[in-house]
Amino acid sequence: MKKPVIVDNTIRIPSSEDYLTDIDSFLEGILRGYGLEETVIADIAICVTELAINGIVHGNKTDQDKVVTVEINRKNSAIEVVVTDQGDGFDPDTIENPVDDKNLLKEVGRGIFIVKSLMDTTVTEKLATGTKVSITKNL
Amino acid sequence: MNLSDYEKDGVAVLEPKGKIMGGPDATILHEKLHECLEKGTKKVVIDLAKVDWMNSTGLGILISGLTTLRNNGGELKLSNVTDKIQSLLTITKLVTVFEAYDSTEEAIESF
Repeated sequence: MKKPVIVDNTIRIPSSEDYLTDIDSFLEGILRGYGLEETVIADIAICVTELAINGIVHGNKTDQDKVVTVEINRKNSAIEVVVTDQGDGFDPDTIENPVDDKNLLKEVGRGIFIVKSLMDTTVTEKLATGTKVSITKNL
Repeated sequence: MNLSDYEKDGVAVLEPKGKIMGGPDATILHEKLHECLEKGTKKVVIDLAKVDWMNSTGLGILISGLTTLRNNGGELKLSNVTDKIQSLLTITKLVTVFEAYDSTEEAIESF
């Protein structure tokens, strides 16, 4: 796949950070359509870009033959977003605590911490091929 | 993200605009910081007034800039930190790392 593909409430991108802006535009379009506040839209966009980067870099190892998929749904009074990659995954428990004093000046390692801080639930599932992370934001 | 810049009283002021989320954003900011160092400018303020939001990649870029400048005898300070970014700095405890000012003028005068 050489470019993003959007079908209804799902976007699939090749494994490159160059397509993060496509994900952001896709999300904004749908979330604005739901009439959400800008601050909620920003929180969700921050978290989805975090998960997409994890999928691109740590999951798919930037193999552009593999894709990252983002699916968004409104469920009653919550927004659910599912981000799936096709890689071997990584163990989030191996990530050091980013708010330990010794880690504060590290340039990486805050993504999942931020997602868990801003979202109401974060569920990670290992698939036969890939990793699926589902997040929800209560409205 | 777009980036504009100017210099005042020997301080480089960088003004990113939009969202800082990764990909080309890191390269643009890194190149500008190295350009400052090559010109001998070691005092830098990043004015965040026009940044809608940033993710952990954006925070990493700020930390990289801070350490790069400090390793070269300089300093990086922030100005006009929006509520959204302030919240991220608080969650990640990076409020304890960055000097932040309500205005760019104050940040420049603090050097």
